[in-house]
Amino acid sequence: MNNAAHAIALSKVYGSGDTRVTALDSVDVEIEAGQFTAIMGPSGSGKSTLMHCLAGLDSLTSGQVWIGDTELSQLTDKALTKLRRDSVGFVFQAFNLVPTLSALENITLPIDIAGRKPDQQWVDLVIDTVGLRDRLTHRPSELSGGQQQRVACARALASRPTIVFADEPTGNLDSRSGAEVLGFLRRSVDEFGQTIVMVTHDPNAASYADRVVFLADGRIVDEMHKPTAAAVLERMKAFESARG
Amino acid sequence: MFRAALRSLRQHKLRLVLTLLAVVVGVAFVAGTYIFTDSLKQSFDALFNAPQPDVTVSVDSGFGSSAGGGNSSSGGDQATTLPASTVQSVAGVPGVAAAFGVAAADGALVIGQDGKPIGRTGPPSRGTSWIPDQVISSLRVTSGAPPVGPGQVALLEATARAANVSVGDTVTIETPGGRITPEVVGLVTRGISGSDGGTLAVFDLPTAEKYLLGKPGVTSIAVRAQPGVSQQDLAKRIEKVVPPGSRVQTGAQRSADIADRLQTAFGFINTFLLTFAFIALFVAIFLIFNTFSMLVAQRTREIALLRAVGASRGQIRRSVLAEAAVLGLIAAVLGVLGGIMVSFGLRQLLKMFGADLPAAPLVIQPRTIVVSLVIGVLVTVISAYLPSRRAARVPPVAAMRDEVGLPARDLRVRTLIGIALLALSALAAYLGLHTLDNGTNASRLIGFSALSALIAVIALSPILGKFVVGVLGFPFRRTAVGRLAIENGRRNPRRTAATASALAIGLALMSAIGVIAASTKASVAAVVDDTIGADYLVIGAKFQPFRPEVYNAVKDTPGASAVAYVRQVPISVKDKTSVLSGVQPDLFPLVVNLQMQEGSAALGLGEVIVDDRTATDLGLRVGKPIQATLVNGSTTLVVRGIYKGAGPTIGYFTSIDTLSSVGARELDSAVYVRVAKDSSPDAVKASLTSELAPYPAVVLQDQASLKDQINASFDQVFGFIYALLALAVIVAFLGIVNTLALSVFERRREVGLLRAVGTSRSQIRRMVVLEAVLISIFGAVLGICLGVAYGALLQKVLEPQGITQLAIPFGQIGWFVVLAVVGGLVAALWPAFTASRLDVLKAIASE
Ligand SMILES: Nc1ncnc2c1ncn2[C@@H]1O[C@H](COP(=O)(O)OP(=O)(O)OP(=O)(O)O)[C@@H](O)[C@H]1O
Ligand SMILES: [Mg+2]
Repeated sequence: MNNAAHAIALSKVYGSGDTRVTALDSVDVEIEAGQFTAIMGPSGSGKSTLMHCLAGLDSLTSGQVWIGDTELSQLTDKALTKLRRDSVGFVFQAFNLVPTLSALENITLPIDIAGRKPDQQWVDLVIDTVGLRDRLTHRPSELSGGQQQRVACARALASRPTIVFADEPTGNLDSRSGAEVLGFLRRSVDEFGQTIVMVTHDPNAASYADRVVFLADGRIVDEMHKPTAAAVLERMKAFESARG
Repeated sequence: MFRAALRSLRQHKLRLVLTLLAVVVGVAFVAGTYIFTDSLKQSFDALFNAPQPDVTVSVDSGFGSSAGGGNSSSGGDQATTLPASTVQSVAGVPGVAAAFGVAAADGALVIGQDGKPIGRTGPPSRGTSWIPDQVISSLRVTSGAPPVGPGQVALLEATARAANVSVGDTVTIETPGGRITPEVVGLVTRGISGSDGGTLAVFDLPTAEKYLLGKPGVTSIAVRAQPGVSQQDLAKRIEKVVPPGSRVQTGAQRSADIADRLQTAFGFINTFLLTFAFIALFVAIFLIFNTFSMLVAQRTREIALLRAVGASRGQIRRSVLAEAAVLGLIAAVLGVLGGIMVSFGLRQLLKMFGADLPAAPLVIQPRTIVVSLVIGVLVTVISAYLPSRRAARVPPVAAMRDEVGLPARDLRVRTLIGIALLALSALAAYLGLHTLDNGTNASRLIGFSALSALIAVIALSPILGKFVVGVLGFPFRRTAVGRLAIENGRRNPRRTAATASALAIGLALMSAIGVIAASTKASVAAVVDDTIGADYLVIGAKFQPFRPEVYNAVKDTPGASAVAYVRQVPISVKDKTSVLSGVQPDLFPLVVNLQMQEGSAALGLGEVIVDDRTATDLGLRVGKPIQATLVNGSTTLVVRGIYKGAGPTIGYFTSIDTLSSVGARELDSAVYVRVAKDSSPDAVKASLTSELAPYPAVVLQDQASLKDQINASFDQVFGFIYALLALAVIVAFLGIVNTLALSVFERRREVGLLRAVGTSRSQIRRMVVLEAVLISIFGAVLGICLGVAYGALLQKVLEPQGITQLAIPFGQIGWFVVLAVVGGLVAALWPAFTASRLDVLKAIASE
C-alpha cells in the first residue's frame, strides 16, 4: 500500500508533573496517497497536535513519523524546513497569508523561497481551479475571508507537495465560502491526485473526505470510509454520550 | 490604570531600556555639564586658598598676562621686565614681609633622551625662578632640594617623568639663552594654578635671568605681607613705588583672574555639551515616539477591551502617559548617574589634552538633579503624547475585530507641511547666501534654513522612505526574502521614517562637520600654497622663538636660493593686539608672497605694512602714522602699504632694523628656506637636516608637514565633535534594534507562517537584516544629503572667515554609508536571531 505519510507509536506529552498532558498516546496512523483524510474529534482530543507532528512542525515525545520515505525524528531543523518547503503544504484556520505580498506572491511563496522557478502551467491550473485569476494582484487585506482561504489552498498546492495539511480551513468561513474551499480540496484530490489531511469539527466538512479518523483523548478510536455528514454526526454523538 | 501601566512596563523591559537610552544619554549630558561647571566653580575656592603671593607686581604691557600660556606663535614670548632695583623698592614698603623677584618665560625646552623636546606641541615649555618662601610659592619640593646656582635645576614631577630623569641626573635644556645641562636637584609639584599641562623647569633667580630672559631684570615680583596687613592696603602702598606701567595685583585678584580665564576657556565646552544633549534628546523623541506607537498598536485589542468595559478615553490616555512618565523618570535617574560619569570623563579628557584642572570633588547640586529629572520626564511624556492620543481613539469595537493594528493614517497633511517647510528653508538659504556681507544674519538665516529643512525632511520621510527603500531594495527584489524585507520596510512608513530620521540627524551633523572640516583643511592648504613661497620652514618645536644661531647655521645652505628669518613681537594699535613681524625687506618677498593692495612693501626704518582687514577695522591709511604700543613702550610707525591678509599671514610687517630699534630680543620665530630652481629639494632638505641637528629646539617643516601641523589642531577639535556625534549615531542604531525587535514581535505570526511553509532560519535572519540595512541606508542617505548640502552652505557663509575652499570629503562620506550598512547589520543581529528562533507553533497559535 502506498502511504504519503504514516506514524508508528506516536506519543506527544506536554509539560511534566502536575501539568503533564498526554496529547497523543501511542498513535499509529497511515495517510494513503491520493486520498482525502479528515481527522475529527472533540476539542482537546489532540487533532491539531497529531497534524503538527505529522507535518514536521512539532517534535515527538516518542514514536516515529514518515513523510513519503523520510523519517522525521532524525532530521535537523534545516532538513525539516526544507521538507516542509518542498513536500508539505499547509492551510491554517486563520492568518494564512503574508500581508505584504500579493495573492500571486503568496501562492508562489514556498517556490520563491526555495529559489525555484514555478511550474507556470501548474500554477495557472491551480489558480484557475480556485477561481482567483482576477484577484492575483490584490493584497490579503483586499480579499474576503473565503478568498483568502482559497489563496492559502492554492499556495498549499502550488509547489506540488507530497501531502497537504489543513487545520480547520473552513472554521472561520460561512457555509457558502466553506463549501467553495472544500469543493476545491476535493477536486484537487480527484483531478490532481493530491493527498490531503484535514482537521475539522464539522461533520459536513468531513463528508467531503474519503476517510475520517476519529480521535479521543489522544487515541484513534474509530475510522470511517466514504463518510456522509449524517453518519459522521451520528458517530460523534455516540462518542459524546460514551464520554458523557 | 496606573497599575496596568506598571505591569506593561515590566513586560517590555529590554525594549524599553533601548528606547530610553537616548533619554539617558541626553540627560547625562545635561547633568554632566552642570556637574562639570559646578565642580569647576567649587575648585576655584581651592584656588583662593592655595599658597600664592599676597601681592604680585608685573609689567603691564597691555597684552594681558602671559600666564595663560596658549599658543605663543602669535607673538613670540617677549619677556618684559622690571629692573631689579624695583624689587628692593618693594621690599622697603612698610607692611612687606618679603619681596622676591621672579624671572619666568616660555621656551625652556627640556630635551628627552631621544634628543627631542618632551611634551606635546601645544602647551608651553616654561621656565621660572624659585621663590624661596613656602608661604607664597605655589611650588612644593617633593624630593631633593630647590635649585641653587647655574648648574642646578628642579623639574616638575610630570616633566621629569616624561624626560625619564630623576634627582641626581643631568638634563639638557634649550633656553632662549642657549643650551644648558644642569643637574636635576629636586622635583616639584605645582599647586593650583590653572596651568595647561606644559613642562616646567625651575632655576634660581640669577640663572633664570640669564638663560630665560637673556638680560638682567625680573618679570614679576612676589610679595608676602606682614601679618595683619591686608592685601588691598599693601597693594595700594606698593603701587606708589613701582615704575609706571607696572601692574599690582592682590592674591585675590589674581585668583579671580585665573578663575575668570578658566571659565571663559571652558565656556565653549558647556555650550557644546548642551548642544549635544539637545541633539540626543531630539533623537530620543523619535525613538520614544516609535516605541510607544508600537506598544499602543500591539495593545489595541487590550485597550479596546478596557474601553468596552467602561474605561474612558482620558483614562486610556493617562495610563499611556503614566507609563511614559515612569519610564522618563527611570531614564532621568540613570541619566544623572551617567552625568557624573560624563563630567568625570570630561575632566580626564581635558587632562589628556593638557589642561591641568584644579582638583576638587564633583559637585552635584539639587538644581542639577531637579533639572535633569524634569527634562527626562518631560521629553518622554511629550514623545508619548501622540501615541497616547491614538490609544485613546481606539474604539471599543476593535476588541471584536480580528485584524489587530490601527489603520494607517493619511500622510497627505504631513507631506504638505514638509513641502511648505522645504520651500521656506530654500527661501531662507537663498536670502542667507545673498546677505553674505552681513555675517551674523547670513549664518542665522542658514541656521534657520537648516532647521526647517531638517523638519521638512522628517515630515517627508515616510513618503521618501516608501520610495527610497523600494529603490534601494531593487537589486534584492528577485528573491522572495528580498521582497519580504523590502515590503516590511515599506509597510509602516511612519515607523521606518522615525527610525531612519533618528539616524539621519546624527549623520547629517557628522556630514556637515565633515564638509566644514575638509573645507577648512583645503582652505589652509590653499593659503599655504598661495602665500608661502618657501619650500622649507624652520620653527620652534613648541612654537617658541629660537636663537639666531639657527639662522646662521642654515643661511648658507647650498642649493637654497633664499633663506630669511622672521622675528615677532606683540603690538597693540588702538587697543587692538596683533603681531608685528620683523623681516629682511630684501629677502622676505622671496619666501612669502604678500599681495600688496595699496602702497609698497619697500620697508624703511619705522615703516610697516598691514593686512587689509586690520587696516579696515582700525581705519589705517597708507602714508599715515600710527601710535603703536610695543614691548618697551609707545612708538610711532608709518603705514607704508596694505596687503591682502591670508590665513596665518596677518598683522603688521616691518624691517628687522625697526624691530631692533625698539629693543626686541634677538630671537627668531621662523626661518624660511627657498630651494633654487636648479637644485634638488631633497638634497637641500638633507643639508638642512644635518645643519639643524645640533638644535633640537627647532623643527624643519616642508609645505606638506606645515599643512599637517595646522590641520592637526583642527583634527583634534573635529575629532572631539565626531566622538560626541558618534554617540548620537550609536543611539540611533539602538533605535533600529528597538524598532526591529518590536516589529519582529508584532509580526511573529507572520514569521511563524513563513517558517511553516518552509522558510529557513537563515532566510528569516536575512530578511530582518536586510530590512534593517535598508532602513539605515535610507537614514544615512537622508542625513548625508542634508548634511552635505548644509555643510556647503555653511562654507559659503564662512568664506569671509577664511574658509574659501569648498571640499566634500567623498571618502569619508563613503565611510558613513559603510558605517550605516554595518550598523544596520549589527543592529539587526539580535532581532534577527530572535525572529529565527521563534517557535513556529507558538507563533501560529498565538493571537
Ligand atoms: N503547547 C502546549 N502545552 C501544553 N499543552 C498543550 C499544548 N498544546 C496542546 N496542549 C494540550 O494537548 C491537548 C491536545 O491539544 P490539541 O490542540 O491537539 O487539541 P485539538 O484536538 O486540536 O483541540 P481543538 O479542537 O480545540 O483545536 C489538549 O489537552 C491541550 O490542552
Ligand atoms: Mg486544534
